[in-house]
Order: sequence, then C-alpha cells, then structure tokens
Amino acid sequence: MNRTAARYRNLILFVLPALLVYTAFAVFPLVNSVGLSFFDSDGPTDVFVGAENYVHLFTNPATSGRFWNALGNSVEFFLIHLIVELPIGLLMAALLTSGVLRRSVGIYRTLLFIPATLSVVIVGFVWRLIISPLWGVVAFPLLGTEATALPTISLMSVWQYVGIPMVFLYTALLAIPNDVLEAARIDGAGGWTQFWRIKFPLIAPQFGLITILTFIWTFNGFDIVYALNGSAPGPNYSTDIFGTLFYRTFFGSSGQVADQDLGATIATVISRSSC
Amino acid sequence: MRSKLAPIAVLAVATLGLGLAGCSTGGGDDGDSVTISLGSWRTEDIAMWEDEIIPAFEASHDGIKVEYAPTDTNDYNAAIQSQVEGGTGPDLIMCRPFDVNRAWIGDGYFDSLADLDAVGKFSETALAAWTGDDGTPYCIPVASVLAGFYYNKAIFDEVGVDIPTTQDEFLDVLKTIKDDGKYAPLALGSADGWQLGYNVLYNIGPAYWKGEEGRLGLIDGSKKLTDPDFVAAFAAYDALKPYLPSGYESLTYDDMSQLFSLGQAAILPDGSWNINQVTSTGLDVGVFGAPAVDGKRYQQEMPDMAFGLNASSKQKEAATEFLEWLATPEFEQLYVNKLPGFFSMSSNTISYDNPLATEFAALKDGAELTPRLALDRLSAGTPPLDDEIWRIAQLMYNSDLSPEDATAELQAGLDSWYTPAG
Repeated sequence: MNRTAARYRNLILFVLPALLVYTAFAVFPLVNSVGLSFFDSDGPTDVFVGAENYVHLFTNPATSGRFWNALGNSVEFFLIHLIVELPIGLLMAALLTSGVLRRSVGIYRTLLFIPATLSVVIVGFVWRLIISPLWGVVAFPLLGTEATALPTISLMSVWQYVGIPMVFLYTALLAIPNDVLEAARIDGAGGWTQFWRIKFPLIAPQFGLITILTFIWTFNGFDIVYALNGSAPGPNYSTDIFGTLFYRTFFGSSGQVADQDLGATIATVISRSSC
Repeated sequence: MRSKLAPIAVLAVATLGLGLAGCSTGGGDDGDSVTISLGSWRTEDIAMWEDEIIPAFEASHDGIKVEYAPTDTNDYNAAIQSQVEGGTGPDLIMCRPFDVNRAWIGDGYFDSLADLDAVGKFSETALAAWTGDDGTPYCIPVASVLAGFYYNKAIFDEVGVDIPTTQDEFLDVLKTIKDDGKYAPLALGSADGWQLGYNVLYNIGPAYWKGEEGRLGLIDGSKKLTDPDFVAAFAAYDALKPYLPSGYESLTYDDMSQLFSLGQAAILPDGSWNINQVTSTGLDVGVFGAPAVDGKRYQQEMPDMAFGLNASSKQKEAATEFLEWLATPEFEQLYVNKLPGFFSMSSNTISYDNPLATEFAALKDGAELTPRLALDRLSAGTPPLDDEIWRIAQLMYNSDLSPEDATAELQAGLDSWYTPAG
C-alpha cells in the first residue's frame, strides 16, 4: 500500500516538469485562443459574443471567400507535395540502397538531404532568382500568373524537403532482413520483382506515416509563401494558404488592422479541420 | 520528500529569475539621470540614432539618457501591441499613420499631446494622420515620404526626350523610348502589389481625383470610386501597361530598382525613401512629379513616422522633453540629412544636402499635397480598401481587368462594410 503510493509519488514527480511546460506553453495558449474566438475585444472591454465571430467568418462574403480560397490552396499545396515528393523520395531511397552507387552512397545521401537543412528564406530567394524572367533561366513569369504561382512555390518546397521522405524510406529499406531478400533471390526473383514484391510491401506502412507528416507540415505551412510573397500573397491571393490567412488576420498586414478575435476564430477552425 | 523536490525548486526559481532579469528594460536610474526608451520599426537606423541623434539630444539635455529600441517593421505592430498590453512598452512609441494609430489611440496607448509647444509647429494636415476623432494630437510628426518618377538623365539625353508635364507627354516619352528599342521605358513589375498602389496609382491618380477633394470625398461618402474622376485615374494607370518590360508579372520591387540602377530602364516610379538605392551605381538620376491634369499638379506626401507618449510610461517628464526637441530645427536638420528621402513636416525651414532630396522637396512647391488614397479609415474593415487596390492593380496589369470593372469591384467591396464618417 505504502509502496504503491510512493511509486505514484515518484511518477508524478517525473511527469511534473514536462507537464508544467506543456500546460504553460501549449495547453493554456490553445484553450485561451479558442476562448478568444468567442469574444469581441475591439472596444475598451472584451464582450462575449458567442458564435458571432464564426458566423461572421462564414457568412461575410469578404472573409468567407478568402477562407475557402485558402482552404483550396492549402489542399493543393498538400497534394502537390504528396504526389511529387513521395515517388521522388522512393526513387532516391531505392537508388541509394540498390548498390549501384557503391561507395558514393554517403555523399549522395548527404547531398540529397542538404536542402532540407537550408533556411527557407534562402531557398525562396535563390529559386526566385533562378526563375526570374529578368535575370534567370525561364522567360515565363512563373510566380506572376495565378495558374502557375502556387504549383511553383510548392515545387520549391518539394525540392527543399524531398530528403525527408527519402530518409524515412531509406531507413525502412535498410531494415529489411537480408534473409528474406536472399530467399527471394534463390527463388529466382530479379531486381524488379524483388523491389515490387518484397521491399515495397515491407516499407508500405511508411507511406501512411509520411502522408500524415506531409499533411501536418503543409497545413501548418507558412514560411515559404511568406518569404516569397509576404502576408497578402498574390497574384490575386492565388498563393494564400491557411498560415498566411491566419497571420494576416491576427497580426494585420501593412494595409489591414489586426483583428485578433477573427484571427483566433480562424486558428480554431483550421486546427479543427486539420485534426 | 523535501530533499527530493529541493533541486527542482531551486532550478525553477533560478529559471524564473533569469527569465525576469532578461525581460526588464534598462530603465534603471544611475544617480540623477533617467533613461527613456524609443520604440521604432526602423531597425536600419540604429547607427544613426545611437551615433548622431541621441548624442545631440543628450548634449543639450543633462540627466536624460535615451535608448533606441527598434523592432523589425513586419513585427512592429504586433510587438508594440503585446508590449503595451503587458505593461512593458517603450516610453515613446513610433506611430503608424492613420488607422493603426487610431486603433491604438482607441485602446488608450497614448497620452494627449495637446499641451505641447511642439504641436504648434505643425499644420493641421501634417498632424492629421495621428489625431483622434476629436482632433486631439497624439503624436509629433517626424518625417514624411514622397512619391515620384526617377529618370535616368543619360537615357533621356540619348533618346532625346524631355521631362513630361502632362499625361499625353508622359505617354509620348514612354513610346519614344520603347520605339528606340535599346532601353526598357519603365522599370515596373506587378509581382509586388503594394508598390503598384503606393508608387504608381496613388502617384498619378490624385491629379484625376483632385487630391484631398477625392480622398476626403470617399471618406465622407460624397464620392464613389465609380465616379468618372476615379475611373479616369485608373485608366491613366492602365495606360502604362504597354510599356512594362517582358515578364513583368513576376518582377519584384527589388528587381525594378536593380533594372533601373543598372541603367537598363529609363523611368522608375518609386518613393523618395529609395534615393540611396537608385543612385548607388553612380547614375545621374533626376526626379519628376506626377503629370498634371488641366494644369494643376498634385503631389503625394505620405506621413510616415511620428512619436507618441506611452500612457503608462514612468518617465513622462523626460519623454515630453524629447518630444519637444523633435520639433526643433536642430533635430529636423540632422534627421533629414542623415536619412535622405525623408522630409520634415513642420513649418521650420530645412535645407537638404542630398541633391536628389532637394529635387524631391522642390516637387512639393506649387503642388497640392495629399497622402495615399486608402489608408485613412477606408482600410479599417474587411476587405480593406488598400489591400484590395493592391490586388486589383495587379489584376489590371496581369489579367486585363478594365478600369470600369476594377473601380466597380472596389466600390462594391467598400460598400459591403464601410459607413461614411460624414
């Protein structure tokens, strides 16, 4: 009896530091932000307005138009990441483990992962110069037309982060026991069959994980768009995603006064929709 | 049990203590002197304030020390709001013009400055960007910026064109340079919407909407963006489209400056704050104002910086002395010459050392002055007119939106939330 109590006491003692930090910096702000979305703080005192901010967000044509636009763009941003990043990451991981690179595997692995360690601001700046119609290699204004701007930014981001799914798949491929592959070889399976019939099914669970992580990263995405196009990302808001919409509403942009209640409302809706 | 918890408690207390020590701003008094802090978004001016301006102030004001504490311009509004609401704001706060400042006045961030002698040095229009609804001044203006057209004198000589004074002459000049084929007539791209609004539309537009008449008319509801004056302004903006360089849709503001300063383009619509950048390569650059309509010239003068007194400051007396000093010729002379491209707003006579700044200041003579169209009141709701104008200005160049449709869409957006103040 006494012993159990002592054990729980220790348990609490060990959990407490993390719990305190987590409560102070994650739980409290989150709850506070949800709370803020039910108030109108424009006047000198905060007034409880119930769901009015939510009603305003979805019924005012100006705000709801921007919201649905940002939702569509975020989905597009996510899908491009998924569709382009996964196959390329898989191809790279397969090549790295295939043995054709021999002793240079380490060098390639490092080179392919380096972009993921660069600052987003640098990636954005370098790519903007490369595709600039004035100084760069492409005459077409890729970032300037509504149809191509978001795919272009997404591909820059894919270029930067393709190393991450690659590393996940690479480690999964390395973890496949050699005897399984050996048995397949003895049964007469060639490289192609080995990959699709043995390796691919064994690493398939990784795809679920990568998809979830990509979803989280892209729906929380903000930095590359902000670095390239600022907080009112044009042209014609065609590159506006949830992150920039929230930032613009909550903190204001140069021509827009900050509206923290509506910002908190958007934050709440975004975190609901992406959980 | 006690002994087990003790190290954790010590650690927690130590961390807390360190955190608090890091937060406290150096407001400590050593001896008789007090320290006042200046909040600002001009991080690039640290050296100027610390080496030139603050020593000049401290030399004539014994016992007051000044600390310049800037925040990056993109984070400035959010930083000031959280600091003031948390009670740690600077003693003097740099004021954003118009709506942001009006919101801050409404939230009680500032003390009224009506009793200061400094206020008398400024005209009502100069103070207008920072007054409350009842006309009470809350900030002492420091500087304004102007918009104009920089031009490359060598290219003008080579192609054989003169400074245009009317819209027709302006288009003729652009056409001549385009037909010549060697240079881009206009260094202008549409990737950054803000500069299409601030440096182009709000630059040439006031001649059509008659400056303050049109701007205040929109605010009190007696004018609409769909009125012929405004449509004509948007049409004048649209008329520049054939002279943009190829690939202009993704040309940024920085690209434009470079195109011009490398001598590849003849004319750059830009603000006075960019004087140092456009002359950085040693080009011979001049500046001309927006073309006149019916012989009348209008010049965009945008109130940019001012200082207000934090209502919860503990050093109000010293801070007030500093505010009074801001309106002296000593400060203004020092400030505008350390920062070419920024102009004094007071009635003091100031001379400018930089020749291009002198040319810019001369554009104000004989012209009616007006700030940027949509920053006062018209952008305090959703959709904000200013942001909408950036977007629409971009669409007009990128997607051939007509001036009629553009103004109709803007007015509809404004009507959806704005009740005229009249």
